[in-house]
Amino acid sequence: MNLAYYQAGTRFIPARHQAALLLEYAHSQELDSDALLRGTHLFERDMLATDTRISPADYLRLLANLKAALNAADTSFMLGQLLLPGHYGNLSHALLQAGSLRQALDILITYQAALSPLLAPHLAMHGDTAVLYWTDSCIASGQRAFVVEMMMAAVAGMTRWLAGERLPWQFRFNRTRPSHIEQYAVHLGSALRFDDYLDAMSLPAAWLDKPWPRGSAMAVSAALAAVPEAERCRSLLATLYDYLLERVRVAPTLEQVSAAFGISAATFKRHLAAHGTHFQAELDQVRAHVTLQLIHTHGYGNEQIAAWLGFHDANNFRRSFKRWTGLTPSVLREKLSQPGT
Amino acid sequence: MPTLNRSALALACLLLVSIFCVALYATLGVPKPLAAWKWMDIVSEGGTSVMSALWVLLILAGRPGGRVTWLLAGGLAAIMLGTWADCMDEFFIVPKDQYWDNWLEALTPIGMLTLTVGLYFWREEQFSLNEHMQKRERLFRDHRSFDRVTQLANADYLRRQIRLEQKRHPQQEAALLLLDINHFHLVNREHGAREGDRLLQAITHLLLLNLRPQDLVCRYAGDRFAILLPDTAAAAAGETAAHLQRVVALLAHHTREGARIEVSARAVCAQAGSSPESLLAELNAALEATPPLRMPAARFA
Repeated sequence: MNLAYYQAGTRFIPARHQAALLLEYAHSQELDSDALLRGTHLFERDMLATDTRISPADYLRLLANLKAALNAADTSFMLGQLLLPGHYGNLSHALLQAGSLRQALDILITYQAALSPLLAPHLAMHGDTAVLYWTDSCIASGQRAFVVEMMMAAVAGMTRWLAGERLPWQFRFNRTRPSHIEQYAVHLGSALRFDDYLDAMSLPAAWLDKPWPRGSAMAVSAALAAVPEAERCRSLLATLYDYLLERVRVAPTLEQVSAAFGISAATFKRHLAAHGTHFQAELDQVRAHVTLQLIHTHGYGNEQIAAWLGFHDANNFRRSFKRWTGLTPSVLREKLSQPGT
Repeated sequence: MPTLNRSALALACLLLVSIFCVALYATLGVPKPLAAWKWMDIVSEGGTSVMSALWVLLILAGRPGGRVTWLLAGGLAAIMLGTWADCMDEFFIVPKDQYWDNWLEALTPIGMLTLTVGLYFWREEQFSLNEHMQKRERLFRDHRSFDRVTQLANADYLRRQIRLEQKRHPQQEAALLLLDINHFHLVNREHGAREGDRLLQAITHLLLLNLRPQDLVCRYAGDRFAILLPDTAAAAAGETAAHLQRVVALLAHHTREGARIEVSARAVCAQAGSSPESLLAELNAALEATPPLRMPAARFA
């Protein structure tokens, strides 16, 4: 497995990618570039230079500046429209020619570092439903809602454009109902649910393989072949997530995982702390997500899930699940059976 | 920015004149002993003076130039100097045979008179501005609610207006109309967000021109407009919806580069009987249930 990963302070994002888009949007809103670049080491002339790289932390700072300076409820949604397919060279070409939703999402997930450096997308099948859910990569807690809005609007906007029709996405948010609900309604649609455990967008799995009008398999493989292998890396947290997801049934320890990452347990702990999290929280998140998938896909009861995840008994699992998500599995099942509003 | 320079210039002038005033009192007057200082008077007169100076700066920084601005700022400046002279009186005794200090203090009533005249003309100015704001606001103003692109009020203002209309005229039927531009996202994709904003501005003007004085147009979000039609039955609201769709379809909009953009819109309406939230949710769902026709493939090239 490829364990190359980036952290919040790693400077690897070309400034002429996302940062240049933010600058262009700031200009279109008649905002001074100083207001956008405040508090970063960047200058306007750097943005279009080919060798300037920014870190996810810089990117977050730019977003925070833009949000504060424009003070408009639609900023995240408008930025989302610009971000995908974006102007990222071959990766954008590949997205533009994607033959189907599945292929587009596959590119998005594989090249997360370039396309969505702050938030890691994951695709899971919950029964007949395809669920695209997002986990933190490098986010300061106050900005999560903004970045989630932005990335969901980016994917919804791109897929609507490339499919030539609005896809029947249903959205769930790990946040309370926002006061600017109208922006959600217009940019994402009416199928919204708040106070959910996941930040996710889902649709019937049949849509994944419906051919898209501009699709060209040859163009996609040619474009992807030209993308450097180094761009396939994921964030530290996303890499950890994928690693734990594969081994969720044995619940690896911090020591085992840090050995696999090739660093000491102490260093690994420090890296996680720098991202505002710790090992147990990440493991619990993965186990909670797997539980949701087991409930949706197989309709497992507590006994079966406990056995699958390697718990001693159902009670033990029930208590743990409550600790992970704040809900007992039965309350969650009840919530899931209610139609979304 | 010229307004900032103007404020800086005014601040410098006010400071100079105040210092000159102090110097005048210090040279021509006799200082009072500390025991004779009346602190209450010093604080209230000095405070009034400082506040008036602040108001002058706020007026100059916040308003375009012109007669009303000069009257307001001039009046406040005179009040500032008058009260400042009053305050100096607390520190110095001016000999009785000198009258210049009385003239200085007389600036306060003169300033008040000027300010009053200024406020009178400001009211007239406001009436003509209100005419411009017609159909963009009703009954109350909240500057935080205005959208920067279209200068229309936002969804929050709309929800408050619906509630207000239901409370003020519970017997009357009011209608709410939502209008959505078809394939607007393609305009942003193909021509950029700036052109998208220009199209929204054009549609805004078109809607304002085609509505009654008592109607209210809001930018709900994105490319979706909400129109509150007070005292309107369902049939009339339906006609208005159809009419607005027709005029939008007739619009010959061109980008700055001269490309023609075909525009069309969908509109739905309902009687504003329920709460604004459920009413808007219902109308949004109705709009989604009638998706626009698919764009011809040529648009994709």
